[in-house]
Amino acid sequence: MSTTPSETIENASLEDRLYTVKYQDPGESHLDVTVPGICASKCKPGEAECVTVCPADVWRQSEDGTPVIAYENCLECGSCRYACSQNNVEWSYPERGAGVTYKKG
Amino acid sequence: MNVLQSREGPPANPNYDHRYDAIVVGAGLAGSAAAITMARDGLDVLLIERGSYPGAKNVFGGVMYTPTIRELVDIDSAPTERYVAERRYSMLTEEDEIAASVSIGDWHEPPHNDSFTVIRGDFDEWFAEQAVEEGATLITETTVTDLIREDGRIVGVETDRPDGAVRAPVVVLAEGGNSLVSESAGLKETDHREHIAVAVKEVLEFPGDSRKIIEDRFRLVDDDGAAYHYFGKGAVGDAFGGAFLYTNDDTISVGLAYRIEDAVTEKISPQDRLDEFKSHPAVAPIFRDARTVEYGAKTIPEGGASAMPELVHDGALLVGDTAGLVLNNGVHLEGTNMAVESGFHAGKAVVKAFGSKATPRPADAATAGTESAGQVRADGGVSNTTRPSVTVRASDLQSYPDSLEQSFVVENLEHYEWLINRVVEDKQLLFEDLPEALADAAAEYFTIDRQPKQTHGRLAKERIMHTVGGLRGAIKLGWRYRKMIR
Ligand SMILES: Cc1cc2nc3c(=O)[nH]c(=O)nc-3n(C[C@H](O)[C@H](O)[C@H](O)COP(=O)(O)OP(=O)(O)OC[C@H]3O[C@@H](n4cnc5c(N)ncnc54)[C@H](O)[C@@H]3O)c2cc1C
Ligand code: SF4
Ligand code: SF4
Repeated sequence: MSTTPSETIENASLEDRLYTVKYQDPGESHLDVTVPGICASKCKPGEAECVTVCPADVWRQSEDGTPVIAYENCLECGSCRYACSQNNVEWSYPERGAGVTYKKG
Repeated sequence: MNVLQSREGPPANPNYDHRYDAIVVGAGLAGSAAAITMARDGLDVLLIERGSYPGAKNVFGGVMYTPTIRELVDIDSAPTERYVAERRYSMLTEEDEIAASVSIGDWHEPPHNDSFTVIRGDFDEWFAEQAVEEGATLITETTVTDLIREDGRIVGVETDRPDGAVRAPVVVLAEGGNSLVSESAGLKETDHREHIAVAVKEVLEFPGDSRKIIEDRFRLVDDDGAAYHYFGKGAVGDAFGGAFLYTNDDTISVGLAYRIEDAVTEKISPQDRLDEFKSHPAVAPIFRDARTVEYGAKTIPEGGASAMPELVHDGALLVGDTAGLVLNNGVHLEGTNMAVESGFHAGKAVVKAFGSKATPRPADAATAGTESAGQVRADGGVSNTTRPSVTVRASDLQSYPDSLEQSFVVENLEHYEWLINRVVEDKQLLFEDLPEALADAAAEYFTIDRQPKQTHGRLAKERIMHTVGGLRGAIKLGWRYRKMIR
């Protein structure tokens, strides 16, 4: 319908984007689900709110519905904590300054 | 720098328990403002930050509003990037753009309308240093995990340090919007996802002379800068929110924010949405050849005045984003100025409370607004005597909510609360139908063909009038938003 001349933007992949922030592994996950069974029964594949909102691809749904948590990707934004309508996200800060470190912010 | 323990990490576990008058949780804007205010008036302050340095965990869009910071400290030493000389507001449909640009001559003159783009990693560290120079002790890489209560009163904090608990008569909660401590201690309810936005941001750099490319693309001279805001479907799809673009010295910040409610119900992924926005034909050429130097994400509380929690408790105060003090309504995105203002008023209230307690403390000689430049202590600020216990009740701290109520903070939040409600109600009209109608009307109005201009003018007007519901609708709409300029 339209013939708008458009610049094609080469957006960095999420992986490349995540590489831009310094990260120190706290050694264990600072994220978890409170009751795994709730995830399986409430969130159909493709429907999980934590997965949709996360800007860092931390949350991924497994076959049985419970999420797999790639906590090393976490940007500590807090969004998943608010997004889950089941209040099923366990969220704490990585200890002693671990996790992401922004230079610019 | 030697007094600032950040970057080198905390010292080998000194004992902070019962050594301070006040503990501040979070060395962000509100926390450092409170620490500066209290330390300057002679209180012993412990400022606790979870990041490896102040700013390490903080992401924002880009414009620091500095009226209160200017009053508190020497702003000329602040690491700012550019002052905002042009503000541009733009409506994006899927393909079109209708924009208005504002640049005021006065903005080129100091104090530059107190609006500067900054890098939080630099700015927050500098601001916390000002607190240290006033005598506060800063410890980093330390997360406050809970509050300690005795007889219902808050008397200190639990931390993830080996020595754990730190007790002091007053705790200032300046932990930002993701207020884990205040929530778990029952001082605040978790925000509903309708009242909180997810935000993503990228800092971009251009190959070669990045600074010059930015100046050319944004028509900038010297230190002036641009702040662009985008609304409508082309910015955030079917969500309620907006996108932003700011110029730093030699990088640009681009990002967007929208309600978490919309993210989950409309299934809009933040990073995909950011890609789509950046590819919009009206903005894509700005990003030509740009390289991502940092990617970040954060939430923004936007509940407004009615979502404000109780600000004072026995032994504790809530400031900044923790208290929900952000104005985010489309036209304004302001939290920095309110964070600093609230930290200042909270600090003053604590000083006042201590003044009335009149405990015999060695530092008392330095109170009452005297210069206390000599307060930086070589021992890293930890005094070696424990303190007699002091009880500070919520009623002793009442001057904080009282003075905040009188300040621009609550005034603005209350004044604009109606706006956000209206805009949410009128979202379809304001962010979709009207921009489309305006774009169509403009296309019509400016059409060059062999029909008289008058015909195009009439058709353009009809297109808009039809969308807003005729003359009556237009008047009603004007009336609904009259308070915008009151
Ligand atoms: C994407 C985005 C764009 C924005 N754009 C603008 C803008 O352009 N202009 C504007 O004026 N405002 C803007 N804001 C709002 C503004 O950033 C905030 O209002 C402001 O930063 C709030 O300051 P604060 O001190 O209350 O909280 P923060 O700046 O969040 O500081 C909180 C501090 O506490 C620390 N902390 C948290 N928990 C703990 C703990 N348990 N223990 C120890 N330390 C802890 C954190 O690490 C942090 O340093 C934006 C916000 C976002 C998210
Ligand atoms: S954490 Fe919440 S949103 Fe995510 S899968 Fe479980 S129940 Fe669903
Ligand atoms: S805090 Fe943010 S980045 Fe981390 S898992 Fe939750 S949504 Fe993803």
